[in-house]
Amino acid sequence: MMMNNDSAAESVFRSDLLAVADTKLVLGNWYGECVINGRALPDFAALLGMANANFGHARALYKHLSTPESYAELERGRGAAEIASMNLLDCAPRDWEDFLASAWLAEQATWHLLSGYIGASDRTVSGIVRRVGQEVYFHIRYFEGWLAVLAGDNERTRRFQKHFAERFPLALRWLESGETDDEEIRRVPMEAIRRSFIDKLGAGSKLLGAPLNTSSASSSLDEWSARLRRSGPLPAGLFEVVRFKDPALAH
Amino acid sequence: MSGTDVVNRKKEIDKLRERGGETPRYYEVFARVSSADALVHVGSVEAPNDDLAQVRAWYVYDQHKWIEMCVVPLDCIITVTENGRTTKIKMN
Repeated sequence: MMMNNDSAAESVFRSDLLAVADTKLVLGNWYGECVINGRALPDFAALLGMANANFGHARALYKHLSTPESYAELERGRGAAEIASMNLLDCAPRDWEDFLASAWLAEQATWHLLSGYIGASDRTVSGIVRRVGQEVYFHIRYFEGWLAVLAGDNERTRRFQKHFAERFPLALRWLESGETDDEEIRRVPMEAIRRSFIDKLGAGSKLLGAPLNTSSASSSLDEWSARLRRSGPLPAGLFEVVRFKDPALAH
Repeated sequence: MSGTDVVNRKKEIDKLRERGGETPRYYEVFARVSSADALVHVGSVEAPNDDLAQVRAWYVYDQHKWIEMCVVPLDCIITVTENGRTTKIKMN
């Protein structure tokens, strides 16, 4: 690659990892906030375990993207306008089916973007991605289990389909290529990542026993920032939930 | 979708679908830490299907870094000494 392409590739690489890390930070908080809505005691443990795993993934990625001096700023010093979390998670879930649809989409989308770096020449990144994949396996399994529970309950399936249809275009927008995207940045082209993402959702619709609308176009959000993979700042209420409350507790 | 568009729906649990029946459905959990260890019984989880049983078992019994974990539906276990009754559940 030419020098300027190297710089552009590095920029896209950092932007990808930061978008995944920040989305996982917010998703971990979603799990933490929704844990009381779990259906049984082991469900609480599963939600807390998934929250913990997502915080761990976010911190591993922050650590890789920062120097020892800049880590604290990256993890807990940024404002709402600098958090690169997926717009999909901006709005709180309205019911259990909305929670399932939103978190499932966020888990699938972040994993698909990250999986583009499996086997990356940077061995640390490759190792992080492999480890994240081992843990995300259980997260995806959790939602597949819930899709099977909803199957056959027409009212709840209908609610899931409705929420999915609202959130899916936001996930698709998050997986759009930037101007400098090419095969030299990720091991898998962005178009293939998007196709695989949609295919996996199609497999989920079989478990649900009802169609999920994956033919809609990606959401046309205003003021889109390719660097942050999002539009606008994090909503104030959500930022209050995710912001680091007591830096003295951080290790 | 707006942030204020929240439905205040009470948490309702459909026992038949979400807990596997009128009485909860249980799975027994077995695991081993290393290939030199025997697969041992570590506890039980309640789940409505196999997928959720696997995930719940993985997160509930996370006291060791298991290299192998299995779940067995309680109703698949054939008792030898219980005269046809189901085996007793051990919850950690």
